[in-house]
Amino acid sequence: MEFSIFVQLLVLGLVRGSMYALMGVGLSLIFGIMGIVNFAHGELFMMGCYLMYFVTRMVGLPFPVGIIASGAGLLIVGIILEKGLISPLRRKAGREWLMDSFVLTIGLMVIFQNLALITFGAIQRGIPNLVTGQMVIREVVFIYDHLVILSLALLTVGLLWYFIKYTSMGKAIRATSQHSEGAQTLGIDVSTMYAIAFGIGAALAGISGALLITLFPANPNAGMGPVLKSFVVVIVGGLGNVKGAVAAGIMVGLLEAFAMFFLAGGWQNVIVTSIVIAVLVFKPAGLFAPAGERP
Amino acid sequence: MSLLGSPQKGMNAFRYLKVAIVVAFLIGAPLYWRDRYITTVFISALMFGIWGVMYDLQIGYAGLYNFGFAGFICAGAYGSALAALHYEVSPWYGLLIGGVASGVLGFFTGLVTLRLRGIYVGLATWFIAEVLRLTISNTPGYTRGMLGLAVKPLPDVLGLDFSRAVLLPYYYLLLLLVIIIFTAASLMVHSKIGLSFKAIREDQLATETLGLSATKYKLINFTTACFFTGLIGAFYAHYIGILTPDATEFGVPRTVEILTVAYVGGRGTLWGSILAGFLLIGFQEYFRELGAWRLVMFGALLITVMIYAPKGLSTVKKYIW
Repeated sequence: MEFSIFVQLLVLGLVRGSMYALMGVGLSLIFGIMGIVNFAHGELFMMGCYLMYFVTRMVGLPFPVGIIASGAGLLIVGIILEKGLISPLRRKAGREWLMDSFVLTIGLMVIFQNLALITFGAIQRGIPNLVTGQMVIREVVFIYDHLVILSLALLTVGLLWYFIKYTSMGKAIRATSQHSEGAQTLGIDVSTMYAIAFGIGAALAGISGALLITLFPANPNAGMGPVLKSFVVVIVGGLGNVKGAVAAGIMVGLLEAFAMFFLAGGWQNVIVTSIVIAVLVFKPAGLFAPAGERP
Repeated sequence: MSLLGSPQKGMNAFRYLKVAIVVAFLIGAPLYWRDRYITTVFISALMFGIWGVMYDLQIGYAGLYNFGFAGFICAGAYGSALAALHYEVSPWYGLLIGGVASGVLGFFTGLVTLRLRGIYVGLATWFIAEVLRLTISNTPGYTRGMLGLAVKPLPDVLGLDFSRAVLLPYYYLLLLLVIIIFTAASLMVHSKIGLSFKAIREDQLATETLGLSATKYKLINFTTACFFTGLIGAFYAHYIGILTPDATEFGVPRTVEILTVAYVGGRGTLWGSILAGFLLIGFQEYFRELGAWRLVMFGALLITVMIYAPKGLSTVKKYIW
């Protein structure tokens, strides 16, 4: 293989990988902190797409505003969902919590998809690109749009990492996830922390949707593909392992970029899904889990 | 030993009467209306109902979350259709081939997910079903992929016309299969095997310390439920006439429909799923003009069941029946 093609695939893989990482991080965060496998993650992504489209296309504001609006809008949606539906379920559910909350989010998925269909119709609402232009360095094409997506995805993950690691609210959220009763005795408002954590997870999905609108036009089923990819990333990285999700996202992106080059279209999905089954069977805690850890 | 509910003496005669009434209704209703549309509704309701029963056998009794359920329908449907197309096997044997194809897939799914619990079983089954579906859509030379695989109707037998011109023979064939499968499932859950399922669901470790093999019972559960699911899947293939490896046909949306039937009916009841099948499919057909709103209502119903009525319709049984 020529070196320039190799570099080109590497770049494409990194761009794809950064998007997968961003989607996976939100999903993994919600699972790690609240123990919810959020199947409506793709639909939160879809709402982000729509918000981005309406802010930039209908209102005509520049794209950074659209991204911020999508993040803020989904933060609010996430908090409302948590307070309105998930929190009442948590008060009732016992050890079946993991599955019950999963089924609840399946219900949410069905509702959001069809509400979007009723409100906006099955029309694709896309934006061709966030920024135009490209540059060529030694036969390798760098599309500016892809570079913007890559850097904003990395920036978002970086900001999240800082928030969780260093701010007092981030520390309170981590304390809640480690031991909710213990956190409560320290005066942490546990139920607010859950709502904020879910909101942040939703906001990450929204930001992914806004960033990826050039590739996934806003439509009622826009979330179906990305949700599968987010689950791939989260399982390979380990459910609840946020750092693992970033690494797995990049890995899956690179793998897909190379698989698409060497194999006929469609088979890369089969390969990626088969890898996920292998990970679930042999290393269910994910590839980056400490040795010997089992879910 | 009764087929419904707990085996209380003295209640049996009453229970058998209720079962007889239900079966008589199911036999008589399409004959009474003699309407093609009503027959299609009854066929859909019974199919979803019995799939819901199999889902319940896994989730409600053994606590096995099969989130790739549609994939096992797919295995049964394509198993029979491909056998008929490439090897000219009679679709009557095809029903059995579909069941075996899905049962074998179920056995191996059970095998690879043995060490997993709860949500991880759900995710693994989901991805196994997706691999099957994506493989079918990537091999158009053999399966015709997204172009769609035309499936011949069942051949006529005993002078009954299975050409799809009239649907009543299909309905009664399905009803017969449903009665057999339901009886088998009822006998199973009220036997020692069923008790072992429940024990594993409640506490796998404690069950194993009592000397029961969780491995064995999980494999029995997966194989049985998937065999019957595939059998009905094969029936579906010959009844519907065309198969595409579409997500709405054999992907997550289909699994979600069946999951809703099982949850709304009430987990761990079996009969609840048949009732929910009729209610939800009937509801869906009656409100056809509402379009996407009825799916919004489905989602809302599922959420309501999760938060306020975890036992589904079985909560209201004592008031009405």
